Amino acid sequence: MLRRAGQALLRQHVSVAESLAVASQQAQGVVREAVDGSSRGVSTLAVKQRMKSVANIQKITKAMKMVAASKMRSAQASTEGSRGIVQPFLRMLGDLPAAEGARAVFVPITSDKGLCGGINTTVCKYTRATIKAVADGPVASEGGEPNEALLVVMGEKGRSQLQRDQRNSIYATVADTNKVKVTFPEASAIAEELLKTEYDTARILYNRFVSAIAQKPTIATVLSPDELTLTYNRTRQASITTELIEIISGATALAG
Amino acid sequence: MSSSAAASAYWRVAGMTYLKYSNLCADMVRAALKEPVKAKAKAREIIYFRQSLWKDGVPQKQVITDTTEGTAGKLS
Repeated sequence: MLRRAGQALLRQHVSVAESLAVASQQAQGVVREAVDGSSRGVSTLAVKQRMKSVANIQKITKAMKMVAASKMRSAQASTEGSRGIVQPFLRMLGDLPAAEGARAVFVPITSDKGLCGGINTTVCKYTRATIKAVADGPVASEGGEPNEALLVVMGEKGRSQLQRDQRNSIYATVADTNKVKVTFPEASAIAEELLKTEYDTARILYNRFVSAIAQKPTIATVLSPDELTLTYNRTRQASITTELIEIISGATALAG
Repeated sequence: MSSSAAASAYWRVAGMTYLKYSNLCADMVRAALKEPVKAKAKAREIIYFRQSLWKDGVPQKQVITDTTEGTAGKLS
């Protein structure tokens, strides 16, 4: 009884081993066929086609790179040319980043297209941080009216990034500004649109061009004439107060 | 401007700005130029951008400001 069962087991084992051998033989046959058969030609053809398409893509990217380089050069020239107008004004008027106003407008300047590293993300990050800093500013902490923050977003990338969390503060979006050419009349037209927000303080957030691999995130503050007058009066008042205190304390010292 | 009418100059109340003034002057100068330079200067007065005002977190109608007279895209 036991013996018969053992024989049956053995037979089973043998049949398993046989079928394994057959299977491996078949597999080997397939391999042999693949090596010296027609399928080798197919694979070299595929590689050849691949090489050709890669070479084509290389050509296209090279052309794109050349176009981008020439565009970059002209953009750089116009940027550096415009600094001749901007810098004297900045020297004369100065910048007042700490200015407070009831209606604060933020103008992040971003590009319409991507593939330019973290440029747009940096601007959006700085925008969020500045909005928060202005909202938590001295006016708010003294229990005054909270500032009203408005966004005028330049560029598609900034719009898509900022509409996620700042959707309700967006006043307007501007795009395609450099589709044709950046000109002074164009900048003026956009600035005129910006004036319609009736801002007290406007903060322009942009990447200041240093070189092709270095851009410095910058905030330029523009005040409305009202806000300027207010700041002027406040500063004057402060200096008058200090002078008065000095005079009074001097007088009391003399009298005492 | 949020300023009251009495505080600001009359020309500002009328809607004039320094930007408008300087662009008007520049247009005059460009119009007075002679041909070889004129065409080159003409390229510097084009305006092209599109903008949309937002309301309650939703963009409203898109407005395209275009003074290129259909040459947009060809010049880029």
